[in-house]
Amino acid sequence: MAPYTSFFTRWVNYSPTLLVVLILVPVGAGLLGVLLPAFGWLPALGESTFNTRGFTALWNTAGFMSMALLSYATSLISTLIVVIISCFILASYFNSKLLSYVQRVLGPILVIPHAAAAIAIGFLIAPSGFVMRLFSPWLTGVEQPPDILLPNDPFGLSIIIGLVLKELPFILLMTLAALQQKEINHTINAHFSLAKSLGYHPFTGFFKVVLPTLYPFMRLPIYAILAYSSASIEIPLILGPNAPPTLAVAIMQWFNDVDLNLRIKASAGAIAQLFVTLLVLFSWWLFEKLVMAFAKSSLVNGRRVYADRAWRILTHCITLLIIFAIIFSLMGLILWSFAGYWSFPHAFPDTLVSTHWQNVLSQIPETLSNTLIVGVVSTSLALVLTLFALEAEQQQQKPLSTATSLLIYLPLLIPSIAFLFGIVWMKEQIGGGSVFLYVIMGHLLFVLPYVFLSMATSFRKLDQRYAAVAASLGCSPWRIFWQVKLPQLSIPMLFTYALGLAISFSQYLPTLLLGGGRINTLTTEAVALSSGSSRRLTAVYVIMQLALPALGFLLAWLIPKIIFRQRQ
Amino acid sequence: MTSPQAKLSIQQLSIWRQKTPLLAIDEDIAAGEILTVMGPSGSGKSTLLNWVSGMMNPVFTAKGKLVLNGNDITELPSHLRQIAVLYQDPLLFNHLTVAGNIAFAMRSGNKEGRRQRISEALESVGLGGMESRWPNSLSGGQQARVALLRVLLNEPKVLLLDEPFSKLDSQLRQDIREIVFAQIRERKLPAILVTHDQQDANATAGKVINLALPQEASSC
Repeated sequence: MAPYTSFFTRWVNYSPTLLVVLILVPVGAGLLGVLLPAFGWLPALGESTFNTRGFTALWNTAGFMSMALLSYATSLISTLIVVIISCFILASYFNSKLLSYVQRVLGPILVIPHAAAAIAIGFLIAPSGFVMRLFSPWLTGVEQPPDILLPNDPFGLSIIIGLVLKELPFILLMTLAALQQKEINHTINAHFSLAKSLGYHPFTGFFKVVLPTLYPFMRLPIYAILAYSSASIEIPLILGPNAPPTLAVAIMQWFNDVDLNLRIKASAGAIAQLFVTLLVLFSWWLFEKLVMAFAKSSLVNGRRVYADRAWRILTHCITLLIIFAIIFSLMGLILWSFAGYWSFPHAFPDTLVSTHWQNVLSQIPETLSNTLIVGVVSTSLALVLTLFALEAEQQQQKPLSTATSLLIYLPLLIPSIAFLFGIVWMKEQIGGGSVFLYVIMGHLLFVLPYVFLSMATSFRKLDQRYAAVAASLGCSPWRIFWQVKLPQLSIPMLFTYALGLAISFSQYLPTLLLGGGRINTLTTEAVALSSGSSRRLTAVYVIMQLALPALGFLLAWLIPKIIFRQRQ
Repeated sequence: MTSPQAKLSIQQLSIWRQKTPLLAIDEDIAAGEILTVMGPSGSGKSTLLNWVSGMMNPVFTAKGKLVLNGNDITELPSHLRQIAVLYQDPLLFNHLTVAGNIAFAMRSGNKEGRRQRISEALESVGLGGMESRWPNSLSGGQQARVALLRVLLNEPKVLLLDEPFSKLDSQLRQDIREIVFAQIRERKLPAILVTHDQQDANATAGKVINLALPQEASSC
């Protein structure tokens, strides 16, 4: 008997392929569109021979090595700090209620756009920023903002602060999620109790017994932030130095230069960026090996305590510092958005006005509708494709191939600067097409992996017996999908939708490049404003940037509550 | 009250789960003596061990004193009590070798001396030369013996046994039991054994406490 097919089952079977094509084609085309110009092939400029002119130009650029070094060092150092602080927090608060509290606070911070976080941190640490104002003049003794270059310091310290505050919640949350898996949790808790009964101080016990089991689950998120931070745009653009900037920021400036000849150098730069990222990953791998070799003998040396109380107190201090940094950033943003005249050492504005809000609200409708249209369309597409692909997996009763699952995460693993420009170049070759379409497609590349990640667990956990019952009652696959499976998934679907929207809202580079500057969203406006004009207007935009995804998650939380109340 | 011999006293202990009394005991355990605690699941056997080791779940409340060799250790954090637990599962650390697992439990000190003691200990339980093996490559009985050595070379003052033989098959069970009990007597440790198995209880030749299910649970 031929297998049962219908319109629905046929399309479901195509969906994993479609999903891969939608990711692979733009990323592949983008990489090709960077590779060809990098080797001198740029017909638009009458260049159609292959040569290494771009790489020579890149090498001869003043400060090229410092750019690469800045990218390399800020990425490695910030990740190292993030990992150390994460381990300290986990070790100090392991098995305590505080940890679940920390988890709840960190969740919302995770979805704050990088651009918004960078701007808020910039406000906080600037010479006339909130921290200086709180401690002046009574502690610092200054009446005028001191003349120091912060943010944008040449050593990239501000970048490191920004990356640490933004990536710490990610690593902590991913580790806590791993800890909550039943199997891991059981082993780790048993080992931890055992270590304590053998006389190990809990803090030392965590490092000697829990961490070796836990680290493999932290490794992938760590590599993800290494790759991301070595090539990120928003944080170095807003907090980093200008001359020279990080490599990724420099590449973006060359691409956007009116002089099209710089494109060849920029493409070569994108290839160099790939190597910097690979070098960062390799360095971390080497670092892991070194730590393991070094720690091997201290694991079994029998020492039960290493100044544990001091480390714990230090951890309390760091945790408090981070919490205050977050609270002060938010307070600073709100105060700036209402500030009239605000003379320097004062911690509170001299006058409060609402004109900034009125200004922004009168200009914002188009920006807001762009943000929402792109977000809603790309998230809806991503969710439908994801649900179909997961349904295909269940209908065919075999998991998606490893290649497919890996390809879905491709846009998160390859530095986006390395392929987005290629897509722009390809788009110019093809010509035509709506700008909106390209921006939505670009957002889809980054929304899809997160939507898939967030949806897959719940979908795969569905009790298959419900579908079997429905099928035995004569329901078609479509009815089973629509009336049996999806209703059971309503809560994860709403949450995933809110997550997809948040990811789309936060996209800077895809919007800027694929929109060709013609589509402004909240994020592109906020970044554009942050480079100068008005701290007050920027603050309003950043608050909107924070409020919009928060509203999404609030709705995702409220809607089921309202529906379920009606059911009772 | 101090006595020349090591002694663990559980003085007027009562444990509740919220308002329901779970158990109440008052016992002295002398050096080399094994107190056996039996009872159905839910009767509070494990909770008792957790209280003694200082790792009781905070949903329970306890009243009473724990005195070791004359020192009140009721409020001492678990890692300072020197009370080791031998669990049902061997719980060997997979990131350490057999020797590493044992060394982890030993006091720090001279490296060569520690190595020497580990190989002697392995020899004594028939595992000579297995220092650099990984836990996953051992049989269940071998793992159980390594777990025992790990606890003994920790040189605790008290040993708690949380159904340590229940996952072993019957012949192995008898062998391991004999090794464990012999070591407890030789090292003059006060010990508490929690078990389901009457044969375990008989083999200790010591006092046996039978815990009943708490009132509320048994009435329904």
